[in-house]
Amino acid sequence: MASRPLNDEEVLNEMNKMVAFIKQEAMEKAREIRVKADEEFAIEKAKLVKQEQQAIDAQYEKKRKGAEVAQKIAQSTLTNKSRLKLLHRREEHLQDLFSTSRASILALAKDGGRYVQFLEGVIVQGFLQVMEPSVTVHSRKRDVELVQQAANGAASTYNELSGRNISFEVEGSLSDDGAGGVKLISGSRRIMLDNTLDERLRLLEDRMLPEIRKDLFGANPNRKFYT
Amino acid sequence: MSQSHGIQTLLEAEKEAAKIVEQARQYRVQKLKDARSQAAKEIEDYKKSKEEEFKAFEAQHAGTTSNAQTLVDKETEVNLKNITESFNKNKEQVVNKLIDRVVLVKPELHRNLSKVEA
Repeated sequence: MASRPLNDEEVLNEMNKMVAFIKQEAMEKAREIRVKADEEFAIEKAKLVKQEQQAIDAQYEKKRKGAEVAQKIAQSTLTNKSRLKLLHRREEHLQDLFSTSRASILALAKDGGRYVQFLEGVIVQGFLQVMEPSVTVHSRKRDVELVQQAANGAASTYNELSGRNISFEVEGSLSDDGAGGVKLISGSRRIMLDNTLDERLRLLEDRMLPEIRKDLFGANPNRKFYT
Repeated sequence: MSQSHGIQTLLEAEKEAAKIVEQARQYRVQKLKDARSQAAKEIEDYKKSKEEEFKAFEAQHAGTTSNAQTLVDKETEVNLKNITESFNKNKEQVVNKLIDRVVLVKPELHRNLSKVEA
């Protein structure tokens, strides 16, 4: 420090120096603050933007996935509808086939010789199935005589095959709308066996479906197992 | 006299200094606000561009859907036609098969039973 009191000029000098110093410090501090502010600005902005961008990306990814799934669903629905249409058409054809068959069997009863043979056959089959000592043979009204004839033959064939005897009565109780054939009812009226042409055709329609499918429409390319 | 004058000068200098620093601090505050608003704007722009991207994707997908529909329909038509043709070709044969089997009868004694010898 000065050893003697300062004169006016020196005081002024020192004053200015001090003022300058204060200003200088302030400027430096201000500069620091500004620089830091710029840095923080950049960091904060980048952080905010990145955060939101990620959220937006996730959102749109989800939307996109949803759209893809919806498209797959739509495609699958189309394929399914198509398959159903095809199956529907096949079913229609099948019904047509069956109604044609049902109409055709009505012609069977007209071929006298074969019809009697057929009657005898189904009556024997019925006897063998029922295995009763006495049965009632029901036939169409107009078949009564034929059936009487056939049943006699059937009873003896039955005896040949099984060694048993059977007694029967013929009744013309079936309506003439049917195609033909017989129904057997056991003596005690507890067992009924339907061997009419209509019933036989119906059973065939059901059991032969796989074969019919193959004959009409070709084998199934997707099928892997056959018994 | 000169002493108080000097002190006053210094005090004024301090005031000035404080002002300068205060200005810098205000700058900082403003910068942070700017960061937020600018970020928001950038985000908005990004979102818009993503939305457009997605819309383009959707438009393209809608195109393929209607395409698929017509494709499937065409194929279905062809298949339906084939089915009917195949049916008409084979119908008679199958009807005959059915009729033949209706009258086919083979009476047999049940395999568990045996003939009763008189």
